[in-house]
Amino acid sequence: MSGFAIKVENVSKKFELGVIGTSTFYHTLWYYLDKLKGGGKKKVDEANEFLALQDINFEVKHGEVVGIIGKNGAGKSTLLKVLSRITEPTTGRITVNGRIASLLEVGTGFHPELSGRENIFLNGSILGMTRVEIKRKFDEIVDFSGVEKFLDTPVKRYSSGMYVRLAFAVAAHLEPEILVVDEVLSVGDMEFQAKCIGKMGEVAQSGRTVLFVSHNMPAVKNLCSRCILLSSGRIIQEGSTTDIIERYMNPSNTRNDKGINLDILEKGKGKDVVLKDCEIIREDNHTKVLIQGMNRDKNLKMIGVGIKIKSQEGVVLTSISPKLTNFIIKFSSDNFRCAFVLPELDSILSSGKYFLDIWFSVPRLQILNYYDNIKQFEIKGKDIYNTGIIHTQKTHGYLPIKTEFKVYSN
Amino acid sequence: MAHQLIIQPQKSRFSLNLREVWQYRELLWTLTYRDFRVKYAQTAIGFAWAFINPIFSILILSFVFGTIAKVGTGDANVPHILYTTAGMCGWTYFSAVLGGAGNSIIGAQNMVKKIYFPRLVIPLSKAITSFIDLAIVLLCIALLMLFFQILPTENILYLPFFLLMAIIAGLAGGIWMSALTVRFRDFVHITPLLLRVGMYATPIAFPASAVPEKYQLLFYLNPMAGVVEGVRWSIIGGTPPSPYAYISFVVICFIFIGGIYYFNSVQRKMADIL
Repeated sequence: MSGFAIKVENVSKKFELGVIGTSTFYHTLWYYLDKLKGGGKKKVDEANEFLALQDINFEVKHGEVVGIIGKNGAGKSTLLKVLSRITEPTTGRITVNGRIASLLEVGTGFHPELSGRENIFLNGSILGMTRVEIKRKFDEIVDFSGVEKFLDTPVKRYSSGMYVRLAFAVAAHLEPEILVVDEVLSVGDMEFQAKCIGKMGEVAQSGRTVLFVSHNMPAVKNLCSRCILLSSGRIIQEGSTTDIIERYMNPSNTRNDKGINLDILEKGKGKDVVLKDCEIIREDNHTKVLIQGMNRDKNLKMIGVGIKIKSQEGVVLTSISPKLTNFIIKFSSDNFRCAFVLPELDSILSSGKYFLDIWFSVPRLQILNYYDNIKQFEIKGKDIYNTGIIHTQKTHGYLPIKTEFKVYSN
Repeated sequence: MAHQLIIQPQKSRFSLNLREVWQYRELLWTLTYRDFRVKYAQTAIGFAWAFINPIFSILILSFVFGTIAKVGTGDANVPHILYTTAGMCGWTYFSAVLGGAGNSIIGAQNMVKKIYFPRLVIPLSKAITSFIDLAIVLLCIALLMLFFQILPTENILYLPFFLLMAIIAGLAGGIWMSALTVRFRDFVHITPLLLRVGMYATPIAFPASAVPEKYQLLFYLNPMAGVVEGVRWSIIGGTPPSPYAYISFVVICFIFIGGIYYFNSVQRKMADIL
């Protein structure tokens, strides 16, 4: 057996913006007529090309569970599509040793008019199972889904929960040597998500190779031993899950002394409402998030301001959105200053690193500018019960709630 | 490990990998079954609809051409209704495949964007479903021949050849249209138009000899003209197909092979285009 399950070499994927999908017969006809006339004019100029993946190289060993993370638009889905052969790479080569199956969604090919029973066979064979294989696992699948009473009912009459359960049950019984899974698996309610993640863990432990794409950092942390971080179509870093998640949550090393992510500030430019400065001021009994910004749009009379506090894993602890709060700024000049006054953070957050997002919006209509992870701050652990034991996030959770304890004697 | 898969840009558009289509034959059957079930699910009379549509088009065509326009049946001495049904036999498969396959990939785009399989499976499954339409027309012919007490001539020996031509023509048209519709959405509208025009430009309910001499060559540019004439001739006799027809058979084979290659070149970009 060769040492690797998947080997990706120099893979790039180029899209031609505005050409694919918008091309009509008429356009193509003119293009070829032009060519005939000897113009030979290049149809696609460089500016219209978009590299979704650039020079991707990595290897996955047999039995490894590797996470692929990155922001929206980093190229995760494209990489997945190339690996699943849904779309062809523009250059490069991928070698896969073993039977590979990919799961980009559950219930692919389900037909609403057909019964649950028929859809199991349909979906199974679309996922690449043979009829014999499906028959063998049929009872198990039905059992797992918990819809045996409705097996002969058309799935369009199923509740959305039943539908997803049945769809996932089929997918969960796929037994490839290599599995490529997209995060769309994490649809449905919390319980169902937990079930999905649990099943994924089982698959991973059974020694199969898994490539897992997700935004769900806790799940990635749980499942994957190694991670690959993508950004703008390139691999930024490859390494242990902890390191990569840390890097993902803290994307830039170009923070200035105030801890503001300059990269992101640059990106915000060109939009009309921009953040100029942001400071977290810790005072005795409260914390102030001081925000300074500038508005360049003369027609804009007011904006809403929101902030989010996120844990290191990206879990949103609180989102103070203007939709909820109605925190509005009415412009009197181009520059504006505002502050969010929160309770003292030490009293509400447990130890660890936290991240702050800031955004400006036209409430309920449109986000004007969003600054992801603009600030980072750290909270120290506290000995809230004076027992000499420090309440830390890792062992005691996010909320350092001071509790009283009473014993009643009968 | 036995399985090794290499993913890389396809270098030549001439590598077809038809063996892969064979490997996915189970999916092909499942999709065919799905189409068939869905087509008649939830209708009160179910499968009977598969009979009603062709019977009505035969009745109308026969009434318009036989009773009103009185175009006759050429050299074949049979009732006009049988003549039309035999003509329909060559046309029906072509029209069913084209009608079904044209939009088939757009209809299956949710699948195409989410999972890999040889895309040719989709129009092929429509082509298999369409055999039902062909079988129904053949059954109608058999019943009419029984009713009118007409025996097939020895030409019937040639029927498999002409039916094969009809099937190849259907596949060719279906594969071309499904690929073209993905590439150019205009074909969503072009396909039904083509079928409507084709129905009258093909000698289904009238003999090819009814077409004026100066239009004959033009008439046989329609490859289906030869197919329909041939199928009918082998069932009920009459004038054998014009020599032009044999040229159109060669053309059909080329269109078929070209279609697979064109489909193949579009297939690579299908998920990006849809």
